[in-house]
Amino acid sequence: MRKYRSSRRHIEQEQKHPEASTAPSIRPVKEKVRHSRQKRKHNPLRAALAVTAGRAFGAISRRLHLGGGTSVPGVVAQRMYPGVVSYLAAQLAYGSLMITGTNGKTTTSNFVSSILRDAGLRVWRNREGSNLMRGIASSLVIRARPTGRLRRSGQAISVFEVDEATIPQALNEISPRIIVFNNLFRDQLDRYGEVDTVLTNWQKALEHLSPETILVLNADDPTIAQLGNSFKGQIVYFGINDTALNLQSEQTGEQNHQVIDTRTCSQCGHEYEYAVRIYSHLGHYRCPNCGQERAQPQISAVEVQTEGFDRYRIRVQAHGEEHTLIVPLPGLYNIYNALAAIAVARTLGIDWEPIENGIGQSKPVFGRGERIQADGKIIRLLLAKNPTGFNEVLRTLFADQEKRHVLFVLNDKIADGQDVSWIWDVDFERVVEHTSSLVLSGTRARDLGLRLKYAGVPEAEMAIIPSTPLRLQREERGNSARRKKKTATPITIETATHLYGLKQALDLALEQTPTGETLFIVPTYTGLLELHHELEERGLTSRYWEGRDG
Amino acid sequence: MTHDFVRPLTLTLGHLYPDQLNLYGDRGNIMTLQYRCQMRGIQFRAVGLGIGDALAPDEYDMLFIGGGQDKEQAPVAQDLYELKAIGLWAAIEDDMPVLAVCGGYQLLAHYYRPAEGPDMRGLGVFDAWTIHKGPRSPRCIGNIALSWNGSTLVGFENHGGRTYLGTAKPLGKVLKGSGNNAEDRTEGAIYRNAYGTYLHGSLLPKNPHFADHLIYLALKRKYGEEYLLAMAGQTEPSETADHAAQGLHQNGTVALAAEKKTENSLKPSDILTPLDDKLEWEAHAYILERLGLHSAALTALSAYKK
Repeated sequence: MRKYRSSRRHIEQEQKHPEASTAPSIRPVKEKVRHSRQKRKHNPLRAALAVTAGRAFGAISRRLHLGGGTSVPGVVAQRMYPGVVSYLAAQLAYGSLMITGTNGKTTTSNFVSSILRDAGLRVWRNREGSNLMRGIASSLVIRARPTGRLRRSGQAISVFEVDEATIPQALNEISPRIIVFNNLFRDQLDRYGEVDTVLTNWQKALEHLSPETILVLNADDPTIAQLGNSFKGQIVYFGINDTALNLQSEQTGEQNHQVIDTRTCSQCGHEYEYAVRIYSHLGHYRCPNCGQERAQPQISAVEVQTEGFDRYRIRVQAHGEEHTLIVPLPGLYNIYNALAAIAVARTLGIDWEPIENGIGQSKPVFGRGERIQADGKIIRLLLAKNPTGFNEVLRTLFADQEKRHVLFVLNDKIADGQDVSWIWDVDFERVVEHTSSLVLSGTRARDLGLRLKYAGVPEAEMAIIPSTPLRLQREERGNSARRKKKTATPITIETATHLYGLKQALDLALEQTPTGETLFIVPTYTGLLELHHELEERGLTSRYWEGRDG
Repeated sequence: MTHDFVRPLTLTLGHLYPDQLNLYGDRGNIMTLQYRCQMRGIQFRAVGLGIGDALAPDEYDMLFIGGGQDKEQAPVAQDLYELKAIGLWAAIEDDMPVLAVCGGYQLLAHYYRPAEGPDMRGLGVFDAWTIHKGPRSPRCIGNIALSWNGSTLVGFENHGGRTYLGTAKPLGKVLKGSGNNAEDRTEGAIYRNAYGTYLHGSLLPKNPHFADHLIYLALKRKYGEEYLLAMAGQTEPSETADHAAQGLHQNGTVALAAEKKTENSLKPSDILTPLDDKLEWEAHAYILERLGLHSAALTALSAYKK
């Protein structure tokens, strides 16, 4: 009930929101550009019905607390009228932007949105975690009237965060003004398939893309940069030009285990050579055989300075101009996210002031460096979903020699990827002797424990608190019906204290973190959702679910 | 007791194509072999063998080959056939333990027939072949358990090709999962001491008994049973009456229970010091439980506890 009310209030607030004071500096898009490539004849009546049904079901599911209910309107509306997304998207006066890539979608979307808002635009987004087609559909349906027309005549710019595998579908329905490809790493091989499979699907989708769409590509990722090879429209490249960040000069060979997902030239199959490697296969590459090389980026970071754990000062060069700005998030990967956002903003003709403000004042989003106060302690959430993401989080965490309090949460649910083999590719050797306390949790805490053991962390130094006990251990703990109750006499098999579940893991991790210090939590995706739920129960969240993207 | 005369045992592993075939955390297998050797005082060295490197069988005691992306597998297949085939064949015929996972397994069979395009020729070590039945046939993805040598092996499989065995012996019988082809409940293939399998996850960390089996095969091949026995006998004169679990070489190299001396065939546990594998077996049992194999999980856990 409460959730329903708050969402209603939220909508009202949005409607009362005064028209932004400064006039948007960007122009609406021409009518014909907005239409998707499918020259579908739309049926406005069916679309209106679909919107009505979608919103009704959405309201019901929220009322009944059936999950978040965020993607229900989209699912229902698409079922009623498959063309609903393309019908509604074509009404967006300022068009839409799409942001994709393995890592950094959410943060980049957040940067872009906050820049656009600062520039005086009304920004609509698809809610975090719902970057599949149904989430995109929902974000439009909930903003449409029962007549099938978008509210405020669609006087907004839509920023869509799109899952890598959803790009072909999304481009089928929506013709974006700009599409950002940030990076491509191995991720959930059981779900997405190999990196090459994702790439092939992207290439096919781009063949049909309108040349009016502008591509924003990461020049440092060879897989991404080559997407521009056969594209006829405008391309904007971004990249890091600060050679001081070269990984090869920073670390010793033994510790430097990088997961490299693109090794060979897309043209001739020869191995790339790197003059500068930022991380994984990102850097200044060149094929010694056919000469294919990194494109010169129009938007580049020429100097990156660290100012503490989560603050970078970067000097950005764009079309001959130079500007300095602050990126208030931890991790080198966020420099790329910021550059992508700058590239989008500059392409739309937005001034530097909103860019500096938008990035400098953006708050970390949902689990991406998010900071939460808990009884005089600080919790930082650092989502890590795949080997390269995890490696970069570890690199950020253990960059200085400071010892950290860490809680890792490794789950193997569908949204995480059911195969956890990738943890063996992560450079957990960095963790050794760099933690003051270490707790492992999640459905696959045992696998993670093994990984850390083989990395050289003594078993005594890590507390392994899996989601559930083994059946055998449960039985030894007494009657299975009472097994959850603490009153059951705990019969220990070996030495370990029997603690299970994220709640206990969080308790222990917080207990081991002295007041005034920071607990770093590194979860996989569903681990992050569980953590948020748990923190919410304790009244400790940073109000994510109320969202600012309504 | 003085052990100055004991030369430490050494093992060298040849890791084939570490840069190209590294898709599914295969590094975990190498790390496991390394850790389990080091814990027993066996010096372990892994050497990467890339494209263009020759394979001299005398230089290695065991070989590992992993899986990669399709695009990267083609140049590897060519290099394997042209540069390493003879060395690899010689090594395998000479009973060198070889572990081939996923793509590596396919490359050691006769051929890989993709959904479209020409066949990829393999080495034919295993009398088996792999066919990809096109994009419409579902990939075999998921946790898998098989019975092997009186115990279980667990891992994760993710492969589009279906492998069919000719005369090759399967590694094990599938208890839950797809295995070679999702049809005949076989998984993997064995030829002499070469093992092919689709299991990653990584395979060896959660299957310490299989890791030890490979180490044991390598030691036995390199040093011979008599030497290993003699070493254990010389260094453990005072403990011959003790129980097997106690009969460990004091500096951790070799353990042997006296009563085993008389038996004809040794087991890995006779030669190798038992390690504390609680975590390994719990992770192993967890997969079994997830697959609904509760009695197998119980067996795995209680086997460890003994």
